[in-house]
Amino acid sequence: MLKINNLHAEIEGKKILNGINLEVKPGEVHAIMGPNGAGKSTLSSVLAGRADYTVTEGSVELDGKDLLEMAPEDRAREGVFLAFQYPVEIPGVSNTNFLKTAVNEKRKYQGLEPMEATDFLKLMREKMELVEMDKSLTSRSLNEGFSGGEKKRNEIFQMAMLEPRLGILDETDSGLDIDALRLVSNGVNKLRSDKNAFIVITHYQRLLDYIVPDFVHVLYKGRIVKSGDANLAKELEEKGYDWIKAEVAASI
Amino acid sequence: MSGTLTAKTPGAEFLESLKSDFANYLAQAGDTNFVNQRKQAFDLFLNQGLPTPAHEEWKYTNLRKAYEANLATTCLQEEGIADLLASSVLNGLDAYKLVFVNGCFQPQLSALPQAGDLVLLPLSEARKQNAATFDAHFGKYIPLEGYSLNALNTALMSDGAFVQIKKNKKADKPVILFQISDSSLVNAFSQPRNLVIVEEGADLHLIESFLSNGNGTSFTNAVTEVMVDKNAHLEHYKLQRQSDTTYLNHFTQIHQEADTSINHVTLTLSGNMVRNNLHFYMNGRNCNSLLYGLYITDGNEFVDNHTRVDHAMPDCFSDEKYKGILKDQSTAVFNGKIMVHLDAQKTNAYQRNQNILLSKDAVVNTKPQLEIFADDVKCTHGATIGQLDEEPLFYLRSRGIPENEARKLLLNAFADDIAEKIRIPELVQVLEDEIARKIS
Repeated sequence: MLKINNLHAEIEGKKILNGINLEVKPGEVHAIMGPNGAGKSTLSSVLAGRADYTVTEGSVELDGKDLLEMAPEDRAREGVFLAFQYPVEIPGVSNTNFLKTAVNEKRKYQGLEPMEATDFLKLMREKMELVEMDKSLTSRSLNEGFSGGEKKRNEIFQMAMLEPRLGILDETDSGLDIDALRLVSNGVNKLRSDKNAFIVITHYQRLLDYIVPDFVHVLYKGRIVKSGDANLAKELEEKGYDWIKAEVAASI
Repeated sequence: MSGTLTAKTPGAEFLESLKSDFANYLAQAGDTNFVNQRKQAFDLFLNQGLPTPAHEEWKYTNLRKAYEANLATTCLQEEGIADLLASSVLNGLDAYKLVFVNGCFQPQLSALPQAGDLVLLPLSEARKQNAATFDAHFGKYIPLEGYSLNALNTALMSDGAFVQIKKNKKADKPVILFQISDSSLVNAFSQPRNLVIVEEGADLHLIESFLSNGNGTSFTNAVTEVMVDKNAHLEHYKLQRQSDTTYLNHFTQIHQEADTSINHVTLTLSGNMVRNNLHFYMNGRNCNSLLYGLYITDGNEFVDNHTRVDHAMPDCFSDEKYKGILKDQSTAVFNGKIMVHLDAQKTNAYQRNQNILLSKDAVVNTKPQLEIFADDVKCTHGATIGQLDEEPLFYLRSRGIPENEARKLLLNAFADDIAEKIRIPELVQVLEDEIARKIS
């Protein structure tokens, strides 16, 4: 589904990604871990199409299509969803109105008619239940005045509504207490299927107790330096990142 | 200063025609206090002259083309005013209406209340029928010194509205004052003059609507004088939707006694050149004043908002927010002054001006001013000029919303923030639709 090949990217002339290779197949969950500054958030930004980053080399394909050629909105409508580390507050744009626009834009892209208002409300109710989202949040402005946990849950709710092929969770666990973490993780687990895939970016192993990955990759200095299964995350939790850094240093 | 090579003073001919108009007026006027008041005003006008950019308060706003448009003062009008009113966004609102075309009252288009707690009359009638009230309030609140167009309006005013809501009464419907400049037959000059009295404990919703008709040039120099007595409440909205051949100067003075609350919104949606002066004077304790404005400009439109809030007494609150969206080569000016007088302890005063420029040729001149003479106050002010923020835009796009749709969503949200301050729900919806049309 997703093929990242030798991806290099920089921001303001500073090289952040130095040749990433990753293949994600339907039904898989890949965790990307790594110390601060390794390039984890850059990878998610480049995949979602944030304009600040320049790709200098390599390619990214989603279902055979060149993702890097596409505008952010087209990537979204092709099925990429980035759950932001810091969801943006947008006063004056209601959550419901925003979601209706997003859902219908995706349908338009797929050649479908806009959703009937009653169908849309029904879908909202269903998905709200799925991610245990408080109903009162949907009538408010997008993320405005939401707590950290509410914002993250709203990201997962949006993901549930838009049903992406590829969900990217960018440090979704940061700033969450244990209850919020469980709620968010449950939401993601309910969305897992053999048709979609997830990339879970995290600094800590904690989240991976709840969202159990098929693969764990360690990102360091802009490259994937080690890959393994869920046990690799546990090893990192125990030993930290220093041994990885040492391994990389030894190999150069 | 004589001689053929001397450049003509801007508006010299206009000035001469005003002098002759005033001489004609005096020739048939009697010798009353009212006439004397107007004589003094005309002298003040002549001493100060027509405003030009040489005057600090008119630095950016040049009415020269209006002065030189060979203007005529006339009640003549083309047909089609009824259609214009029918197409107004206010048409569906159940309200009392006074309609003026080039400052002349149009009884056949107006809708007046039964005699009672709400008095709604042309000002010319009120001066005869309600002489005592008229004399007690007319011209008592607006400044003439430093405001030569106020002096000119006082001296040579057209007709206008007299609105009075009696003590402890609430008007059962909003009142709309329509001021229509009609330049279909001549280039029209008019000077509407309104006097609004909200008596102690009373409650009024007042909407002033400025429209235009015709393809000639028009220049409207309007003054609205409002007295809000103790413990009264006023909702005051101004809607400006004129054509690209209009010049509009509107001075509004709101005089507040103790324990009053005012909610004011100015929406400028079109017009060639608009200058608003909005002055609040808090003459008692515990006043609450909210003043909000929105201007959306395109083409060569020019909108200037000058506001002044005088905190003259302690324990008052004011909140001011003006927002602008500018396209093409349009220009906006904001000049907001908050004066906290020596006695005005425990003042809370807030002011913001936020502008979004959608074109590199659009211009904003903004000047927030705070003058504080008391020592126990809370005041903030600030101005921003910029483009739409990238981060919200990216967030919306990352959910599959195309860039132009995302921009519209954000701009509408920015603008609706002001429209929503209008406390007539059915009006908010039509205005938001109108705003969306202008933005798209």
